[in-house]
Amino acid sequence: MNSKIRLIIEREFTERVRKKSFIIVTILTPFLLVLCMFGPMLLIGLSSDSAKTQKVAVVDNSQGQYVGTRLESDDKVEFSLLPSGTSTEEAHMRYARHEDFYGVLVIGEDILNNPGDMMLINHGTTSMGTEEIIRNRIQGILRNERLSRYENDNIDQILADANIRVNIRTMEVDTKTKNGDGIKASSTGASYGLGLILAMVIYMIIIVYGQQVLQSVIDEKQTRVLDVIITSCKPFELMMGKVLGIALVAFLQILIWGVLILVFSTIITPLVLGNMGIDLSSATQAMSASGSPEFAGIVSKITDLSYLSKLFISMLLYIVGGFLFYASMYAAIGSAVDTPQDAAQFNSVLMIPIMIAIYAMIAVMQNPSSDMAFWFSIIPFTSPVVMMARIPFGIPTWEIVVSIAVLYISFVIMIWLAARIFRVGVFMHGKKPTWKDLGDWIRMK
Amino acid sequence: MSPILRIENVTKDYVGHRALDDVSMEVPRGSIYGLLGPNGAGKTTLIRVVNHMTFPDKGKVWFEDHEITEKDIFNVGYMPEERGLYKKMKVGEQAVFFARIHGMSKTEAIIKLKGWFDRLGIADWWDKKVEDLSKGMAQKVQFIITVVHEPKLLIFDEPFSGFDPINQNLLKEEILGLRDRGATVIFSTHNMESVEEICDDITLINKSRNILSGPVDEIRRKAGGNTFQVIYSGDREEFNSIISGKADLIGDTEGLIGGYNQQKIHIPEDSDIRPIIGAINEKLGLRSFQEIIPSMNDIFIRAVNGTL
Repeated sequence: MNSKIRLIIEREFTERVRKKSFIIVTILTPFLLVLCMFGPMLLIGLSSDSAKTQKVAVVDNSQGQYVGTRLESDDKVEFSLLPSGTSTEEAHMRYARHEDFYGVLVIGEDILNNPGDMMLINHGTTSMGTEEIIRNRIQGILRNERLSRYENDNIDQILADANIRVNIRTMEVDTKTKNGDGIKASSTGASYGLGLILAMVIYMIIIVYGQQVLQSVIDEKQTRVLDVIITSCKPFELMMGKVLGIALVAFLQILIWGVLILVFSTIITPLVLGNMGIDLSSATQAMSASGSPEFAGIVSKITDLSYLSKLFISMLLYIVGGFLFYASMYAAIGSAVDTPQDAAQFNSVLMIPIMIAIYAMIAVMQNPSSDMAFWFSIIPFTSPVVMMARIPFGIPTWEIVVSIAVLYISFVIMIWLAARIFRVGVFMHGKKPTWKDLGDWIRMK
Repeated sequence: MSPILRIENVTKDYVGHRALDDVSMEVPRGSIYGLLGPNGAGKTTLIRVVNHMTFPDKGKVWFEDHEITEKDIFNVGYMPEERGLYKKMKVGEQAVFFARIHGMSKTEAIIKLKGWFDRLGIADWWDKKVEDLSKGMAQKVQFIITVVHEPKLLIFDEPFSGFDPINQNLLKEEILGLRDRGATVIFSTHNMESVEEICDDITLINKSRNILSGPVDEIRRKAGGNTFQVIYSGDREEFNSIISGKADLIGDTEGLIGGYNQQKIHIPEDSDIRPIIGAINEKLGLRSFQEIIPSMNDIFIRAVNGTL
């Protein structure tokens, strides 16, 4: 590579990577991400761990329906049935303010026919969890009681029979088998999640690092550093150096994130969960053993090497192509203006295709093989985001090849156009250019 | 010797106004060349045309014996008026970066830069960030960055602004030193005193046109218009009769302390001044006879106002 471009890449890269903000963001982001993913799990674990058994005093006015006596205690809620004849007021006075008791449950006279006639008196802090447990218990008792009225001996069997859970096993055609008639387990849910994550990553990279290219060019223009550099290197070299330098920073950051997330999720999380008595691998085994088809699909996806490598290679190609495509536009805009304020107008126009890509992606994921999905994954403005969201669903290779080819041809054209704006723009000071000016600069000899 | 830079009938139009209008000038090799003119006259545009930062609509720029190319620009060191340094970068690293961009190897750059830093007394700043420097300090760094790769042609835009008199002198010495080592220096300035002190030749641009070009001495002498100031003791009438026919009086005679008189006279270009001095000296007490050479400041103002 040209030594000037290499020098500019080197400076752009080292200056950014050495910044404190880069180091902090790079280290903290995966940590926060893992925290967001596993945080709720940990918190639930912690709070359920520390939760003590709640004592509830029960006043059963439904004498003869025996609901109170059938309330079973466990380690979460302990029911203590007050002697019959205890009035609500008395129980209230004695137990509702008692600090050992969570509260007083008052069961109505005809609770069987009037299930709403129930009251929980408590001295302040209510807990959704405890309330839920009490409600479920009563509900269970009432349901069984009502069912038993039908006097059908097979009632338990009928119930078990009717209580079904529907699962669809998504299978996809395995193109690797001879006649293409083989199928393998798939998972729409997993494809959806994966597609969304991949598309969002590309979107973030384009926006965040594209803005850095814009800012970097404006900074150099403002400080007149450009005037000094440009006597020694061509505008094209400067622009490419900047774009590639920042691309390298993005690459490094993603690499570090990948490694850190891997470390967090394979080493640290099981350790933490293990400490809490949750065994991840046995949970996994239990789930596969139970034959959850959704889970089988996910496992089949994430263990399919050719699928993963296809995903990884196309991700890489789309990140590089998409970033260069947009970054060259950002560079052109940066060169044309004097201040970030002036850039805002152009910037917002550039945001439109990116936003369209996001909306299109959301729509496309409902039906990844529609015509709309196809065209949005060919048009280079939207293809990196939209196509990346579709690929996990299994897209014919030729479509991916066409889409990537179009993207790379367009990025070469875009860089050429951007360079033509850049070479004029960097020397323009003062007046904010119009779109027409940019067009004139492209045509300028 | 052939000029290092020749600008030939260059015209440059921006939307709505003409920044350069048929400007020509020649910069002799090894000279210090002043580019003068009021604000907005077109100096910076001219510099940008030379630097290939913009292209002329008409006319040509020649470097040595050929039309200037991108390659030649690497032989040009340029220090813009608004200094361009990366604020967040350390001074030393930054200087090495620019030196390498200008084509030096890393080792060579470090050796040469350390030498310059020592010479300008800023060796301690090597590891400081640019944003921590004062304006004058940053200026010195910028100067070094401009000259370290020893370009054949140096272009300074207002090199002395922001410097105290001591550092101005230091810089002047360095610029003269660069010239003595073979570089050609173009500098644009409003500081006419420095023009008188160090410029060999100048071009004065006003309203996009070159209105005055040439060696400084010649321009000043011409602008003086063969006027002299005579101080003598004796009778004014007698002085006037001696002069009459040989020279014209300019203004009135002023009486000075000690009975001396002072009178400005204009002598026609083709006449010899020695008989006039002789005649005055014979009849009156001649105390002083001096050619009036206007300052560059006067010339600048008169040229721009069209009264030169």
